[in-house]
Amino acid sequence: MSRKIPEEWLTLGLESSCDETSAAVLRGGREVLSNVISTQIPVHQKFGGVVPEIASRHHIVNIMPVIDEALRQAEVRLKDIDQVAVTYGPGLVGALLVGVAAAKGLAFSLGVPLIGVNHLEGHIFANFLSDKELEPPFMALVVSGGHTALVHVKDYDRFTLLGQTRDDAAGEAFDKIARVMGLPYPGGPRIDALAREGNPLAIDFPRALDEKGNYEFSFSGLKSAVLNYINSEKMKGHELAKADIAASFQHSVIEVLVTKAVEAAKAAGCGRLVLAGGVAANSGLEARLREAAQAAGLRFSYPSRLLCTDNAAMIACRGYYQALSGEYSDFYLNAVPGLGLSSRVPDDHEPEEG
Amino acid sequence: MSILAIDTATQVSSVAIAQAGRLQAEITLQARLTHSETLMPHIQQVLDMADTKAADLEGIAISIGPGSFTGLRIGLATAKAMCYALDKPLVTVSTLAALACHLPLPGICLLPLIDAQKGNAYYARYHWENGGLVAEDEVSVGAMADIVAGCAAEKRPVILLGDVTQRRIAGCMELPDNVTIAPAHELMPRAACVAMLGLRELAQGHTANVMDAAPIYIRRSEAEVLWEKRHPESVSTQEAHAVLVPTEGKS
Repeated sequence: MSRKIPEEWLTLGLESSCDETSAAVLRGGREVLSNVISTQIPVHQKFGGVVPEIASRHHIVNIMPVIDEALRQAEVRLKDIDQVAVTYGPGLVGALLVGVAAAKGLAFSLGVPLIGVNHLEGHIFANFLSDKELEPPFMALVVSGGHTALVHVKDYDRFTLLGQTRDDAAGEAFDKIARVMGLPYPGGPRIDALAREGNPLAIDFPRALDEKGNYEFSFSGLKSAVLNYINSEKMKGHELAKADIAASFQHSVIEVLVTKAVEAAKAAGCGRLVLAGGVAANSGLEARLREAAQAAGLRFSYPSRLLCTDNAAMIACRGYYQALSGEYSDFYLNAVPGLGLSSRVPDDHEPEEG
Repeated sequence: MSILAIDTATQVSSVAIAQAGRLQAEITLQARLTHSETLMPHIQQVLDMADTKAADLEGIAISIGPGSFTGLRIGLATAKAMCYALDKPLVTVSTLAALACHLPLPGICLLPLIDAQKGNAYYARYHWENGGLVAEDEVSVGAMADIVAGCAAEKRPVILLGDVTQRRIAGCMELPDNVTIAPAHELMPRAACVAMLGLRELAQGHTANVMDAAPIYIRRSEAEVLWEKRHPESVSTQEAHAVLVPTEGKS
């Protein structure tokens, strides 16, 4: 049986790394036929954060209806699917395992290849779905709940990790500070909204590792500074200027991210900068990055709001390009909750210096 | 026509292919490997060993719990996806009932136990009557020491089953005179038993819904129990559900 040409491949993507159960069908590498996302935000809201066991319990109930709906919306039959791509990390282990087990069951039964996808690489590849003309090379700033990183995407299968967070990710700092200020889960979008009403220069919070040429991030110092500020204001009996705190904190995070991203893009000789990850939905970050990129003569893009959330279309997209380079998984594929971003060089390339 | 049976409820990983009255092949491992890695390769191997094509299966039987939450979900997600792709019926079998299938001895109380963490176990009593397995009570969860001590009140011999008895009861606590532990090879869950009970369910048309089947957990998550303790006033309020994110339409 001869395989279709890659442009006609139908890739089924599955994503269940945290609190979204998602399935998507892609034709070729860029055409999203469906992208069904079931979110558990209403379920976890009362707990103030995602409860892993509860997330897993919802994934196991929702996974099949979500897959069924993705196929229905795409108007394709399951037997026409050419490959199954699934997130195998990073994320919550119990949540990941539901998607991985389902993907294996489908791939085995259909007799099609299985492709394990790194969720963070998926976020970068979401940009290929939002911008059909986008081609490597470019610089990607990845900002998600658990990760902050700068990745030089040289080709579809060739990345160089320039730096990542040494401690807390930007998203973690957002969530923690939102919780301390009594904002409901998820905290990131609440801080973003609040920040629009506040003065970003009201409070001078620190910026870590801001020396030139350093592409690593650190947000634990900033997080502590904001928490200390909130505590000391409370001790003094002051009413919390929540909007100013949110704006000043967000400003501090954004300045570090923007400065490093633009500098890294220029240093690497990239004419393009893209934003990726859940925090890419932060309007303040997006606006400031756009402005700074423009001033530096860089083209800037970021995924649509839907493609910034955890979704299976980006996983199918990453899976498609892995399949093009023959990067499949076997049925021993396991979930890797602590999977990170790392440089990747395909087998037929010599490792690069630096 | 054959059935594929899966049991990943405990540390034991087991898959089997069986027809009515005939076990064709079984792979059972108690090797502390992760179910996630080994389950799909084992299914592939057991089908090969039984010279059976997945497409020719009559259905799939899954050991539905109680047991390890994660283990149950790995087995069930695999089974559901296979049933969906192959268009086969899914049947669910109680993990405890499958254990009680090991010893079809009349006049004896069979007491399978499954690890429920922190010295606790899920359990239910069974006995055999006229060639059929009878569940005597609903599945409960309790301290293993209490369950074992409580057996002294039974007026009949009791046999304990379940791989947790080997690890937590044998040699760890004193057994009442009427209690024995099943031999090591009989006390662990085996997919062969899931297959036999599954075939019966299938013949009776007792199939599960592939779309929304969930494991039998017995216990709720600790976070929920804790939350309700802290918010006694809101216990009866409606449960929240996942919702679909509105899509942007096709691109």
